[in-house]
Amino acid sequence: MQKSDLIVGGKIRRFSNYRIIEHQLNMTAFAILVITGLSQKFHGYNLSQWIIINLGGVDAVRLIHRYAGVCFAVLTITHIIVGSAGVIFRKWPASMVVNKKDFTDAIENIRYYFGTTDQPAQCDRYDYKQKFEYWGVVVGGLLMIATGLILWFPAGVVKYLPGELIPAAKAAHTNEALLAFLVIIVWHLYNAIFSPEVFPLDTAIFTGKISVSRMKHEHPLEYERITGESAGHRHAHETEEVKQENG
Amino acid sequence: MRVRLFFVSAFALLFLFLSIAVTAAPPPVSESVQHCLGCHGNDFSLELQKKEKLPLFIDINKFTGSVHGSLDCSACHAGFSAEKHPARVLKNIREYTVSGSVICNTCHTKFKSAMHAKMTEIAKKGGKVCVDCHGAHSIQRAPKGVSKDSGYCLACHVNELEISFRDGEKQSLKVDIEALPLSVHSKLYCSDCHFGFSAEEHPQRVFRSKRDYILAASESCRRCHFDKYTKTLESIHYAMLSQGNLNTPVCVDCHGAHSISHTGKDRTTSAKRCEKCHGGIYKIYATSVHGNALFNENNQDVPVCADCHRAHNILDPRTFDYREKVPQMCGNCHANKTLMGKYGLSTAVLNSYLQDFHGVTLKLYKKQKDFGDNTTTKPIAVCIDCHGVHDITATTGPNSSIVKANLIKRCQKCHPNASENFPDSWISHYEPSLKRAPLVYFINLIYKIFIPFMMVGLILQILLHIWRYAVNR
Repeated sequence: MQKSDLIVGGKIRRFSNYRIIEHQLNMTAFAILVITGLSQKFHGYNLSQWIIINLGGVDAVRLIHRYAGVCFAVLTITHIIVGSAGVIFRKWPASMVVNKKDFTDAIENIRYYFGTTDQPAQCDRYDYKQKFEYWGVVVGGLLMIATGLILWFPAGVVKYLPGELIPAAKAAHTNEALLAFLVIIVWHLYNAIFSPEVFPLDTAIFTGKISVSRMKHEHPLEYERITGESAGHRHAHETEEVKQENG
Repeated sequence: MRVRLFFVSAFALLFLFLSIAVTAAPPPVSESVQHCLGCHGNDFSLELQKKEKLPLFIDINKFTGSVHGSLDCSACHAGFSAEKHPARVLKNIREYTVSGSVICNTCHTKFKSAMHAKMTEIAKKGGKVCVDCHGAHSIQRAPKGVSKDSGYCLACHVNELEISFRDGEKQSLKVDIEALPLSVHSKLYCSDCHFGFSAEEHPQRVFRSKRDYILAASESCRRCHFDKYTKTLESIHYAMLSQGNLNTPVCVDCHGAHSISHTGKDRTTSAKRCEKCHGGIYKIYATSVHGNALFNENNQDVPVCADCHRAHNILDPRTFDYREKVPQMCGNCHANKTLMGKYGLSTAVLNSYLQDFHGVTLKLYKKQKDFGDNTTTKPIAVCIDCHGVHDITATTGPNSSIVKANLIKRCQKCHPNASENFPDSWISHYEPSLKRAPLVYFINLIYKIFIPFMMVGLILQILLHIWRYAVNR
């Protein structure tokens, strides 16, 4: 592939339409699940009760939650099947697999934050933060699907398994939900919206494109790999320039 | 000698005089009366046809103290005199009393009140005649001008009076004067409740039945107890009454009429009130852990009917509104630390229910209903579903298996495919711990540590990132 095909108007194609749609569906399902789920978990709050009453009562909320849960489950399972099939048939590289470099990158980046190195970690297609979130969604998602099904069909499950599994599944489901919600609200929204490097919004997952300067800055190894050009030795003072181009 | 004779005779006369005075000299009565007393001053009686004995003794003191004390016997007993004493054949005492009362009419030609006319009118059918109330030889003047004083009313109502209803039923109008002072209303006047009645007024009322009379009489109570009356308007009893079921209880059915006592002092009495109509349930209650403690140990801490069903605003227990209130009802005692401490019972039972799936659902249903959503009809399991309604059993001891058996039956109502071990999924009001539900305990523990650890780590990274960015600029 030629460099001229890769870069159009200073932007590099990063995500296919399939991934864009997948993210939007996942985002919608997640939002619905959080709204209908956490309002049940925190049932004592006025806001929760307002949500439940305006969605047509707790029975309706539970129904919506289960439908959204089915959508989320289908998305997650499809993603795993498609993703692993792609890797098996060498359609795409296993770029999400966690390796030793991710750990060293994390340490290096923290050292950079503290000022003990003058350059952040050099990452490939996905940096360690993105891998952390990705696997959080996949593993957490599988846990939510499993515990959610147990809670949906308690009598059926207890026919074959001990009864204590029901309250245990409830504890896991509700705690994991809170964790996922907090990680998304704090970590994901910071990285996608509030981080000064992307503010007001990282549009990559919506348009599928990323600016060359951000690519060089955030995924230098990938940039070098796909273009054959050097991403350039990036110094700390360059970040400001990156931000301007990004906008 | 003459002087001596004078003193002796004077003393003799004085002694004679005194002895006559001391031995209760007969009061001055007319000669003809004395003539009658010649025989009737003695204790003897006449055997009538029906083997009844008619006493013929006249207490002259009572007679002279009566309003008729100055009359001759023959004034009433016409036809009898010193010369004439006709022999009569009498069937029984009642016949004699009724026939004797006719004589009163010769002087008292007009009845003072319509009440008297009515009472003598029904005399033929076994009602009252004059002497039944006023007596015969000891007639007293009726108290006058004390319209508020109960004594005026009691002058008649201590007697065996009766009212007949149109359906033929009868009701005694005799007031139990023994019970009256014990009533909380002992300081009230009759007319405070029986308004419209006084020394001047005694309206004649006609009721279709005894029940109609009781229902009308109960209307009096609300003149003072309006708060209680308004509460009864919300009750299932009132709803049934207004639908035409006249047998539903009104005030006097539970509280009594002339013997109203303080309520709530003794729980047994309170429970017994409901027994009158709800006898079957009362029996079941008596065998429950609460009823048993009340009746066998006289334990006054236990709930009686009115504690759960309320006394005046008794709700229909089959409604959602009632079901929704059950956890709080039980919680009134079972979440009370001092009360439960006496019996070594846990007070966590209420919250462990309310915070669980069913408790939350119930609470949210209630909220939805408050916002006008009446579509929720699912009967969510509450305390009584597993522990019993009137037959509540202890969760420890020989009957504890009943609770377990109830549990699975109750689960299957909403979870039709629930298996025998399904109730295990409810960890029975216990907080998850190493002993009880260790898996739940560990999962909660892990997240309790992991969530803050994760969040603090991520927030620190964000802050470091911002700080680095700011420093680089």
